[in-house]
Amino acid sequence: MYNLVLKDLKLGVNPMFFVLPLIMGALMLVPGWLYFLVPLYFCWITIPNMFGQYRAQNDLLFTSMMPVTKKDMVKARLSVIVILEILHLVIAMIYGLITIRLYPHLTYYFFAPHMGFWGLCFVMLGIFNLFFIPMYYKTAYKFGGAATASITAAMLFGGVAQWIGIQSSFVSNIFNGTGAHNTALQISILTAGMVIFVAFTMISYRLAVKRFLKVEIL
Amino acid sequence: MLALDIQNLNKKYPNFQLKDVSFQLEKGYIMGFIGANGAGKTTTIKSILKMIHIDSGEVRILGKNAAEHEIELKQDIGCAFGGIDFYTRSKIRTLTDVIKKFYKNWDDETYYNYLKRFKLDENKKIAELSTGMKVKYNLALALSHGAKLLILDEPTSGLDPVARDDLLDIFQELVVDGEISILFSTHITSDLEKCADFITYIENGQIIASSEKFEFMESYRLLSGNENQLNLVKEQLISYKINSFGFTGLIHSQDFDSSIDIKAITPSLEEIMIYFAKKEDMYV
Repeated sequence: MYNLVLKDLKLGVNPMFFVLPLIMGALMLVPGWLYFLVPLYFCWITIPNMFGQYRAQNDLLFTSMMPVTKKDMVKARLSVIVILEILHLVIAMIYGLITIRLYPHLTYYFFAPHMGFWGLCFVMLGIFNLFFIPMYYKTAYKFGGAATASITAAMLFGGVAQWIGIQSSFVSNIFNGTGAHNTALQISILTAGMVIFVAFTMISYRLAVKRFLKVEIL
Repeated sequence: MLALDIQNLNKKYPNFQLKDVSFQLEKGYIMGFIGANGAGKTTTIKSILKMIHIDSGEVRILGKNAAEHEIELKQDIGCAFGGIDFYTRSKIRTLTDVIKKFYKNWDDETYYNYLKRFKLDENKKIAELSTGMKVKYNLALALSHGAKLLILDEPTSGLDPVARDDLLDIFQELVVDGEISILFSTHITSDLEKCADFITYIENGQIIASSEKFEFMESYRLLSGNENQLNLVKEQLISYKINSFGFTGLIHSQDFDSSIDIKAITPSLEEIMIYFAKKEDMYV
């Protein structure tokens, strides 16, 4: 499993995608922006490019010839995705902390980059994984449909969450108002988001393995 | 001991099927797996490697059930697929560094010896290698992890005659010790005449014959004669061609009555393949 992750990191994933979180994360410095867009760059740019690369390089057949189980193949691929997702979020969080200090008196129309917001981002990426991974492993090479569906689902979640955040004064209060300074509340939202992320990712793993076992490698 | 033992492999596709494919490869020998394009060679090989799901049948590799010991056996198998490239923009060194971690019996010394022998430069990218070099690189990888069974899918197609001959010499050297066995599929029958010990012939998803090479060739006769003579043997022929001099046709040796005065010779593998393919056409 570890060797498979290493294989993806060394051969499959272009080093640019490890730099991308640093560049895209810097968008957090735009004052009062719609920050949901920042982690979405991972889904828009990294995912299609990465999986296009795997397909172009015949990664599936290459990996199938190694002494590895199909289960480990899924686990390793998912681990690489999760590593990149966490990289995107953690770096964006750091930029977010800078933003909060940089513009202390800003009025946020969209969610401010407090901890609770990052919890929502975790849920968003969890939803992305939940759709993308099992759909992709129906064939283990076609990623177009899976990417479209999963990106749509993630964006819908982000859109609806943001819309509620603007429309409902209660939600707005939690994320941008007085709730933002309630550390316990913020931490619990973040933790809940992470738990949902982990749960969705595990479900996606199980579904993907089930489907991938049926795939014939041609 | 049998390096490879395949029993009654069945796999059905909407318009093609492998039907009761069975053959055995004795340890320390080279088996040529021949058949026309689309006869089922790659499908069989992929079934052996568990890349596709078989409907029924059993594959035993080095005495072990392939379905139960898949991962363990893959440590002992080296495979190469002709004409398929992986990570072509990576350097040989990078690719090897990744691959070697998967094998517990990897031996760096052997690997460098083969690189030297095959004149492969570690700093070259896969895309820069010629077709022959790619096959040799694959062989070097397989041999460095101590593969006992080499499964090669059309390793010689696309190679020039010199490179092919060179590769066949290597195959023969490898099996000398009796430790390594090779199954390789090809449609270039002259390769097999040079180096295979056994021939397994597949046609339209079914094994026509699997036997020692000369025995296989001897079991057929290529007849040639005039049209009157054709009528005598027409019913027994596998298939025949009419030309301005008369006919040439393939027959099973046991069906041929040698008292009939028809010129009969032992056919080449290529001729066997061609006449079998013609038989298929006649039924269409």
